[in-house]
Amino acid sequence: MTAGVDGARSPRAARLATVAVIVLLGAAAFARPGDEGGAIVLANPDRSRVTELRSALAALPESPAVLIGLDGDLGTYPEIRAVVRTAFDDLLARGAGLAFVSFTPEGRAVASAELDRLARSGVAAGRLLDLGFVTGAEAGMVRAVTDIVPADATGALADAVREAGGGMAAFNLAVVVGGGDLGPRTWVEQVGPRLPSLPIVAIAPTFAQPELAPYLRTGQLVALLATLRDGAAYVASVRPTGTANPDRVPSALAMLIGMIVALAVIGRSLAAALGGGGQGVATAIEADVGAAGDGPEPSAPAAATPS
Amino acid sequence: MNGFLGSDLAGVAATWVAALVTIGVWSYLLGERRVFRLAQHLLAGMATGYLVLIALREILLPRLLMPLANDPAGHLLLIPALALVVALAGGRWLPRAVAGLPVAILVGATAAFALGGAVSGTLLPQLAGSVLGPGTPLNVGNGVIGLAITALVLLGFLHGIPGGRITGAAAGAGHWLLIGAIGGWLGFLVVSRLSLVVDRLSFLLTSWLGLAR
Repeated sequence: MTAGVDGARSPRAARLATVAVIVLLGAAAFARPGDEGGAIVLANPDRSRVTELRSALAALPESPAVLIGLDGDLGTYPEIRAVVRTAFDDLLARGAGLAFVSFTPEGRAVASAELDRLARSGVAAGRLLDLGFVTGAEAGMVRAVTDIVPADATGALADAVREAGGGMAAFNLAVVVGGGDLGPRTWVEQVGPRLPSLPIVAIAPTFAQPELAPYLRTGQLVALLATLRDGAAYVASVRPTGTANPDRVPSALAMLIGMIVALAVIGRSLAAALGGGGQGVATAIEADVGAAGDGPEPSAPAAATPS
Repeated sequence: MNGFLGSDLAGVAATWVAALVTIGVWSYLLGERRVFRLAQHLLAGMATGYLVLIALREILLPRLLMPLANDPAGHLLLIPALALVVALAGGRWLPRAVAGLPVAILVGATAAFALGGAVSGTLLPQLAGSVLGPGTPLNVGNGVIGLAITALVLLGFLHGIPGGRITGAAAGAGHWLLIGAIGGWLGFLVVSRLSLVVDRLSFLLTSWLGLAR
């Protein structure tokens, strides 16, 4: 990671530096001084995104039916896991019934695990509904607008949705968890025009923020949490410091250290590129990474690439 | 930490497997490739197995084969669907015209829905929101800047098309604007991936080693 592009430092030194960074991050993650409201706090002081989400939840009627479009990516879901679970708890505390649907196989895996976790944590079975995995990508999503309840689904929530037509119109809110191929953008494009009365809220990993922010501006999304800091602010607003919180956001100190290291690596590569006789930035970074691993990047099977 | 694993024997075993595979993947940083490749193959194999399982249990059996077996007269439309599945599965031994039919339907339907949704759900609403929004000077200014950047970036894609000096300069500006945008997006990506590393370290420290709860 920190080996010089000119080979001045050995791969062994690069490996040791990489291990040192991991140990440092681990120590920072363990210490978590930011949790107690110290100088380093992850939560965004600008609470406008949190306010939008909480306003959307506050506007729900009593005992609302909420559709959870869970299509997180196995590789990036850990980033938003604490926020998603806090949203579940927030909704359940408001008396909501949660119906889970997925349009990607990976999302289905995450949804199954979350449903299992919620059941184990004591949430009444009647307040949870597993709508399963809907095939057909965009076409399947369009079909689900009018017909989303599987024939074998049972329970009070399933009955209520059937009585209200059996489609997405039976729900008061859609909370879309993104990260996979069919995320909030696809919901906005396929469900939004067909069901404009259904408010859509999105929770997505940080990398999706540039893609999704314009939908918030046009009102196609009523709320969006797509950065770590907004997510941390939301978690803090629902679970104030000091309360039991099994799903914590990453340590602020560890994130700060990691970002400083990342900036140092980028800066070093940039300096090498600018002063290294015409070597491009991309080549310099590749050389850095290659030196850290002491060899070419192994090719990962396409099916195994998590994100 | 991640809450997916219970405290029973299966949960403990899963935690150990997850921790050891994590360390195995990270061993690549120290130059150890065999364990890393083993983990890669394990992931690929499990992903394939999972996909096969989900296709059988959640699609083919409950939505195609069982309805046809129980009530074929009530599900006549599933018969051509079954024929398409058979054509797809047996594509290796069938004429290209037959094997290509389900693929053509898949690609055509996906493209139609995706393109239609992009136009009606993204392009038109975003254009309306950017250009025809409430007429405060700030919003109009933002819209004009957005329009200018979009036009310049689109010009940047005009590779090989002859143009004058002004068009060339605009295309060059669009090219650099695109690189700037990609750089900004990579910044978001770094933060995203960093949080995953920290989360995994927390998993090892808390769920596996039990150092802090």
